[in-house]
Amino acid sequence: MTTKTIEAATEQSEQVSTEPVITELAEAAAITFLDRSNASFRLTEGGMLAVEHDGKQHEAVYVHSSFPHSNRASYLSIRTIENKEIGIVRQLEDFDEATAELLVQQLQVRYFAPQINKLLKVKEEFGYSYWEAETDSGIVKFTVRGGVGQIKLVTPVRLLITDVDGNRFIIPDYTALSDKEYRMIELYM
Amino acid sequence: MNLNYSLPPDDREAGQGAVGEDIQFCIPANLSLLGRRMSGWFLVGESRWAYVENGEVKQSGEIAEGSNYKMVPLIGNVILECELFGGKTILARSTMEHAARYGYLSQVLNDKASSKKVRMYKREEEASCATCGGALIPGTRVCPRCMNKGAAFKRLFAVSGRHWKSFILVLVILFASSGLALLGPYFQKLLINGALQPAAGTEASTTLFFSAIAGMVGCLLVAELLGITRNRMMAGISSGISADLRKLVYDKTQSLSLGFMTSQRAGDMMNRITSDTERIRQLIQELCTTAVYQLIMLVAASTLLFMADWRLAIVVLLPAPIVAYLHRYIWKNVLNRLFHKQWRVYDKANSFLHDVLSGIRVVKAFGKEEREIKRFREYNANYAAMTLKSEKLYSILSPITNYLIQLGQYFVLLIGCNLILRSEMSIGELIQFSAYASMIFGPISWLMFMPRWVANAIVSIERIFSVIDERPEVEEARQPIKHDIKGHVQFKDVYFGYKSYEAVLRDINLEIKPGEMIGLVGHSGSGKSTLINLLSRFYDVNEGVITIDGVDIREIEQSELRSQIGVVLQETFLFNGSIMDNIRYAKTDATNEEVIEAARIANAHNFIIGQADGYDTMLDENGSNLSGGERQRLAIARAVLGNPRLLILDEATASLDIETESAIQEALQRLARGRTTVAIAHRLSTLRNADRLIVLEKGRIAETGTHTELMQKKGIYYKLIQAQREMSTRIDKEFVSGISEEAEAGAV
Repeated sequence: MTTKTIEAATEQSEQVSTEPVITELAEAAAITFLDRSNASFRLTEGGMLAVEHDGKQHEAVYVHSSFPHSNRASYLSIRTIENKEIGIVRQLEDFDEATAELLVQQLQVRYFAPQINKLLKVKEEFGYSYWEAETDSGIVKFTVRGGVGQIKLVTPVRLLITDVDGNRFIIPDYTALSDKEYRMIELYM
Repeated sequence: MNLNYSLPPDDREAGQGAVGEDIQFCIPANLSLLGRRMSGWFLVGESRWAYVENGEVKQSGEIAEGSNYKMVPLIGNVILECELFGGKTILARSTMEHAARYGYLSQVLNDKASSKKVRMYKREEEASCATCGGALIPGTRVCPRCMNKGAAFKRLFAVSGRHWKSFILVLVILFASSGLALLGPYFQKLLINGALQPAAGTEASTTLFFSAIAGMVGCLLVAELLGITRNRMMAGISSGISADLRKLVYDKTQSLSLGFMTSQRAGDMMNRITSDTERIRQLIQELCTTAVYQLIMLVAASTLLFMADWRLAIVVLLPAPIVAYLHRYIWKNVLNRLFHKQWRVYDKANSFLHDVLSGIRVVKAFGKEEREIKRFREYNANYAAMTLKSEKLYSILSPITNYLIQLGQYFVLLIGCNLILRSEMSIGELIQFSAYASMIFGPISWLMFMPRWVANAIVSIERIFSVIDERPEVEEARQPIKHDIKGHVQFKDVYFGYKSYEAVLRDINLEIKPGEMIGLVGHSGSGKSTLINLLSRFYDVNEGVITIDGVDIREIEQSELRSQIGVVLQETFLFNGSIMDNIRYAKTDATNEEVIEAARIANAHNFIIGQADGYDTMLDENGSNLSGGERQRLAIARAVLGNPRLLILDEATASLDIETESAIQEALQRLARGRTTVAIAHRLSTLRNADRLIVLEKGRIAETGTHTELMQKKGIYYKLIQAQREMSTRIDKEFVSGISEEAEAGAV
């Protein structure tokens, strides 16, 4: 993990207002926010994330992003395997750099979706489309079920494609595709 | 399911070094922790596991050192983790296509770790094509690469065999009508050459004139009549065939097990029964009318063209395929795309409209009318712009394509007129010729479009036959016996899982005496409903046996078995029809009095009588004009009407208030005398009449005994009771304090 990715991640989170506003709503919701004053993260020997919060140790926790597409590194919910929330990390700046890096890494573990850099071929046959694309984890071929819901815009420009196995692929900005690539997918949009 | 991939030699060597000679399981672990694609493998031997990558063992260990092996599905990937030396460890990570494999493997590892027998029952079918070995799309059984189109049609013809006589008749009619169509131009020639412009030196013949006119009119008339007959016959045949198919599919769905039906989405099934058969109907109809007719016309017209004048025929025929291809190309790549897009935009606007109109209360409640109006304007403008665009292009392109189609005709005229001027051809011949020429284009362009819809129809055929060929999971015994249930039920060493790698019930041993009432207790997901599913034989056990009065339930005829078991489920389903019909569903020949008795037992009689239409009240879809409690009472009435020897109540009284529940309980108590009853309830007070309580915990029987015994034991049941009591006293307290506060406020 380079610092560059962290910067990219934090850059995104700056778009949200960083100043916490105590409102009646906030009071009622009673969210536990984690920051460097009350929580510390570390990696266990087994490669799992562990957190200490208010003197309590949680050995294996998972990092869920509240906005995996629009604002990945903000409002991270730290949860146990039983799906109990320990607390929410509002933004990565609330922790030191090493911890921020660790959290971004955990996000990468949980949300695996190769980015499509170049579409090579999209062929439709019998209700399924067969895709071939260059992604940031190599050239992949996958099959997408026809009909609604498999290919969708999760932000105005970000396209999420789910294949028949449940693997996910991302086109970060479909407007940046070349004309040729765009023509391959325009029917699905 | 492939759980033992063959390894590349160097990986294999390394793996054998780490886990021993015998590599029992080997699954790709194709992701690094940070998401790079790897060519790693996760191996399991007799007692060790290892992670191997590029001929190198990266990690390995004793299986018994770890515990709680688990496949954890993340987003777009899965990890295999376990507890090792007190902490959790990630052993491997992979993309989704191997998720189920890791599910299996974690089960295997757990069994090995606790040195138990490795339990693998049915190896779920690997989704791969039998012919080419390529991976198959989950949920389908047909590989699009090597789908045998011939075989599909053969099956279809086998089903259509019943109609062969009609088919032949239709074929005869087709030949006759194409013959008539071809006669038309011949009469035109006669008319022109014989009467309008007779050849030099001959008189115009009035007889010829009238007979030519009569011939043309006659041709037209008879052709129309034949057309009507043909269409009527084909409509009959194709509807007949699709009705046969629908019946086959429907019959099959009724006999298929619950397992298959729940794995298929209900909508998918509906599609197969309705739209797929409809598509096949269209295929047959098109194929047997238009397709054959077009082919006959094509062959006949071109033969006639060549016979008339081969030079002209070549001029006409050569460009025809090119023009037809061009026509198709424009349609497919330009117009279709455009209309498709227009349709999408239209669809979006439509669903927006539907959304907002059905949510109009919310819109008004939040005062967002202005915003919705603005949003609709946007959609509307979009749609208008899109329509304008596609219509504009269409209005330009369609004259061009039409012009192209007729291009051949101009050449014919050009050459033909030349021939006439040189007196090598008569006007009548030219007219006849160009009439034939115009008959060529239709069939050719039609043939260009044919492959696409034939392919679509083949998919439909395949999908339909994949259901028809499905073998039911719960199969009838070869010689099923009829058995009058007395009510002695026994579970012996029963193991079961919906997926074989996840055992839901383990090691169940249970004896229920005739007439006993058993209460099943446990957290959700502990296997209560599964136990009941097995008892009703919706699924078969993986291991062990369930007997009723000493007879294996797999030996008993299924319909016989179920007619003696009354089931009331939590989610009640009521069919369209009257209340009477719904109660009577269990026993269609029940008398009115029996129905009323059943309703009284279920405490439903009073509310039914209160309805304006009494027992004749028509229910809306799934009884939505009744309350939840009323629906449940109808379901109970339905179950008791059959006078079942074995009564299964799965949260049957959950949506009733306590008072109604106890009334029904009393009635059931009376009914249940001498009847074996198995009841599930979350509200533990429901089970206070039970003779014995069975507490399930994670698929095993944790405690058994009466309420008092279990309370004394202070185990799981005790805790459950305590928790519920706490809850209700807390509510009571709050309620009471609320009242007193109100009273105080009132006093002030």
